[in-house]
Amino acid sequence: MHVKSDRAKSKSVAVIWRWASFSLIFFILLIIPWIVSPLWVRIATEILMWAGLAQSWNMIGGYTGYLSFGHGAFFGVGAYITGIAMMRLGCPFGVGLLLSGIFAAFLAAVIGYPTLRLRGAYFAIATWAFGEMMRQIATILEITGGAFGMQLPAFLNLPFFYYVTLGVSGLTYLTTYLLLERARFGYKLLAIREHEEAAEMVGVDTVTVKIKVFALSAFFPGVLGGVYAYWVTYIHPDSVLGAINTDFMVVMAFLGGVGSLWGPFLGAFVVQLVNRYLWLVWGEGTFYLVIIGAAICAVVLFIPNGIVGLLETEVFLPRVAFTRLRRIVKW
Amino acid sequence: MILQSNDLIKSFGGITAIDRLSLAVEEGMILGLIGPNGSGKTTFFNLVTGIYRPDSGTVIFGGKDITGLRPHRIAQLGVGRTFQVPAPFSKMTVLENVMVSTFIRTSSMGMARRKAREILEMVRLDEKADQPILNVTLEDRKRLELARALATEPKLLLLDEVMAGLTPAEVKASIELIQTFRARGLTMVIVEHVMDVILSLCDRVTVLNYGRKIAEDTPGRIVNDEEVIRAYLGEHYSARN
Repeated sequence: MHVKSDRAKSKSVAVIWRWASFSLIFFILLIIPWIVSPLWVRIATEILMWAGLAQSWNMIGGYTGYLSFGHGAFFGVGAYITGIAMMRLGCPFGVGLLLSGIFAAFLAAVIGYPTLRLRGAYFAIATWAFGEMMRQIATILEITGGAFGMQLPAFLNLPFFYYVTLGVSGLTYLTTYLLLERARFGYKLLAIREHEEAAEMVGVDTVTVKIKVFALSAFFPGVLGGVYAYWVTYIHPDSVLGAINTDFMVVMAFLGGVGSLWGPFLGAFVVQLVNRYLWLVWGEGTFYLVIIGAAICAVVLFIPNGIVGLLETEVFLPRVAFTRLRRIVKW
Repeated sequence: MILQSNDLIKSFGGITAIDRLSLAVEEGMILGLIGPNGSGKTTFFNLVTGIYRPDSGTVIFGGKDITGLRPHRIAQLGVGRTFQVPAPFSKMTVLENVMVSTFIRTSSMGMARRKAREILEMVRLDEKADQPILNVTLEDRKRLELARALATEPKLLLLDEVMAGLTPAEVKASIELIQTFRARGLTMVIVEHVMDVILSLCDRVTVLNYGRKIAEDTPGRIVNDEEVIRAYLGEHYSARN
């Protein structure tokens, strides 16, 4: 009885801890545009965007265990759809975003229908090929501006883009929490990742579930692509449809902790911050990629569960850290 | 008849794993399926549960033709199955493993948790409910296989060597457990190499060899069947009886 109440107490303490830190982070995120310089608002917007993108990749790559190497294409397609909707069809920005998300999700369902029946490397290869295909299509089509890219109307309002990105990325995390962490849909995804045949045997319609999660995971990069297009006002096949976009999503998710709720956020935070710091120090260049590559090797070798996995090791639990500290200072 | 297979044929390349197999399982009975390694027992399970599609022949379950349906559909209709080598969802707890199965009949998380606990109690795994799979022994993994299959609320349960690798004491406990399932009116087909299990549980026994049915009778008569002794049991077994 005593043990049980003790455990209940530490559990409620953990809940308070979680909510306190969560509210603090949320508060900081809300006031950022008012307390830092425009350069850092820009960097913060980028971090939030990448956090959303990495999480969307995590839905299919982390929770479901199907590595999508064409996820950047949903971002690029979203950018172009919003661009086309605003420039050619005269839609307002919000409608463009919605169209981007829906079209990206639709594309994912179409790609997923045949390819999600394949296991292992086949899905990865098929999605990679799809990403390349999208880039080629954007380069030759007239409506996308081809190799000249596309210019959107300039709307220079940094806080606006910060809050829109915060909203969309926040929605990505909320969806992940409610649908993947706390509902039966998430249990089915994990079951598929851990043992697909056994999942099917206990009644999980694996193909349908996989197509659904792939479409869901494409919706958010679609919308974020739209936000990005309006924000930077100029998009080009190589900038929004380049393979590097996918690479960064994968790298951030792995660094932060694949298959976890906060991993992609932490990964995006660290990678984009280092990225920008090196860029500020060395200027425009690609040398920072070498450092990031080395960092990835280190992560895979030494902390395979990412930053989240590292934080979950005993030493970093608040309670354990506290008792150890007390022992050291003999209090 | 709850399950009936008619002239099933399944071959892989040049090997005919199941050769014109016709089987019938009556509601409420326990059918034993025995035979040497490679005689087609597991293949038969894979055909019934939809993992393989037969080259020809039909599978009828509860009066419905289920040939060629996807496995999850067949599970929904009421066929449960355990894997010979336990196939748990490794990065989940014991309870969560069973919850995945309960989602076949419910979408409520609370309901799923309650039902999963009930079933874990039934197979006496309730104390390990919150353990990650990593901390669970082979015997418990075998029980988890049972729990997961039961949680889909099957009308027919296919048990693929649930006793293999267990100690005699564990086997005895498992036999008692399966007898409680029988008391609840569950129909079962059991594949097993431990003959004592077959003898103490089954109402009827079917013997397979090279994918063909070579005998079907009560357990008592099967152990004295000439052809069965030659193909599978060996001389000493009949001498012992």
